[in-house]
Amino acid sequence: MIGPGFPALLTAAAGGDEDAFGVLWHDLQPRLLRYFKVITPEAAEDLASETWLAVIRGIGRFQGDEAAFRAWVFTIARHKARDGWRRAARRPVEELQATSLTEPSAPDDPAATVLEAASTREALALIATLPAGQAEAIVLRVVAGLEVNQVAEIMDKRPNTIRVLTHRGLRRLAEQLRTDQGPRARRAV
Amino acid sequence: MGADDAWSAEIRRLPLTPDPDPLALDDDLAERLLDGDLPPDQTPPGYAAVATLLAAAAAPPSPAELDGQEAALAELRAATRARRAIPWGTGRPGRRRRVGLLVAVAVCALSATGIAAATTGTLPDPIRDTARRIFATVDDAIPMPSALPGQQPTPSTGDAVGAASEGEGATPVGEPEATAGTAAVNDGPCRASKVHMGADRNKKLNAGTSQAPVDAASGADNGTSQCQNSRPDGTGGNGQEQHPPSDGHGRGQGGEPPPDAGSKPGQGQAKPPPNTVGGNPEKGGPPETGPRRL
Repeated sequence: MIGPGFPALLTAAAGGDEDAFGVLWHDLQPRLLRYFKVITPEAAEDLASETWLAVIRGIGRFQGDEAAFRAWVFTIARHKARDGWRRAARRPVEELQATSLTEPSAPDDPAATVLEAASTREALALIATLPAGQAEAIVLRVVAGLEVNQVAEIMDKRPNTIRVLTHRGLRRLAEQLRTDQGPRARRAV
Repeated sequence: MGADDAWSAEIRRLPLTPDPDPLALDDDLAERLLDGDLPPDQTPPGYAAVATLLAAAAAPPSPAELDGQEAALAELRAATRARRAIPWGTGRPGRRRRVGLLVAVAVCALSATGIAAATTGTLPDPIRDTARRIFATVDDAIPMPSALPGQQPTPSTGDAVGAASEGEGATPVGEPEATAGTAAVNDGPCRASKVHMGADRNKKLNAGTSQAPVDAASGADNGTSQCQNSRPDGTGGNGQEQHPPSDGHGRGQGGEPPPDAGSKPGQGQAKPPPNTVGGNPEKGGPPETGPRRL
């Protein structure tokens, strides 16, 4: 969260201030990437770029606080994801090569960074195994940091439905971690 | 059963439910788990690994996740440049609003004109005068059989339906008529209107200009009524009775045309307008041609 300085930052970013926009981008880009990696893992980077393009086009007209801005960005992200699903549905199925599933490592590649990134990746991969609604609701709550009502609006569901989805998702995660003897969790930790 | 038969404490200790849910999670704990503010010692049994997993999912970003900032900033620069290049108030929204307003005003004006024409049977004087002025020049360029004095008029009903039945659609303007029919003096305006419909729907206003010969020959009321009577849709029988077919090839048959004769491409001009003087707001004339030009 950016905090009390957000309104001034937003105004500056809307006026084209690159430093202010960079702060917003730094705060939200990793969350966007993780969200897309759970719901559309094959096109996460592309969809994140498309989301930022839409944010840049509309940031001058946005009015609201930081939480509303975050919800607005993830609303755009979800629309982009839906567009991506439609495009993928029209596209013929291609076989993925095993090498395309490995992510390039960071240039400096310190061991700590790799371990941390790997744990985050594993955690997201495990969340992605949940049913789609449960996974999306959990990621929007945990990764995007949105409230129940905001998630409900983004997913076009009732707040109680979001509570049920996240509750079931947490329970399912607990069951998976217990029955798998927690290998992924141990790696994640 | 007496008190000595069993230990009362043991009876009370019998489980009422078979197995308590080991992963039970109330809503409050679930919310705190999702928010990440549940201390490890308060984590419900079975959810410690889940809490760790969620913390890993929300971990600080790695450098790899922050690649691409320069591309985003480049997009921001381009968007900012484009915004500044457009002066305030001259962007697309303003232009769209103005164009929309103009279209709305034009549609309203033309609709009102069409309604007035349909109600009174004539165009309002200013519009009729304007139309006459416009089409006077057109008439000079395109010879209109009915408008030219001394030209032999041809039967209206037979001509119209004959053209439709042969799929000719628009009869070429000025082409010698192959249809042989009984000449009728007052059919000139009716035929002219049909020819106009075939040649160019925008020229329907010319029916107003051809009103003069009609007036001169038989009076305005007579010409109008004969045009109405010569409709091939069966509503008027006078046209058929006055102009019987003469060539025996289906031409000049004034009976029922195909119901869709007026809507098929290439055939749609056989039906004369119901009112050749004022123009029909549904079929042509000012109410329709105006917005299309916009």
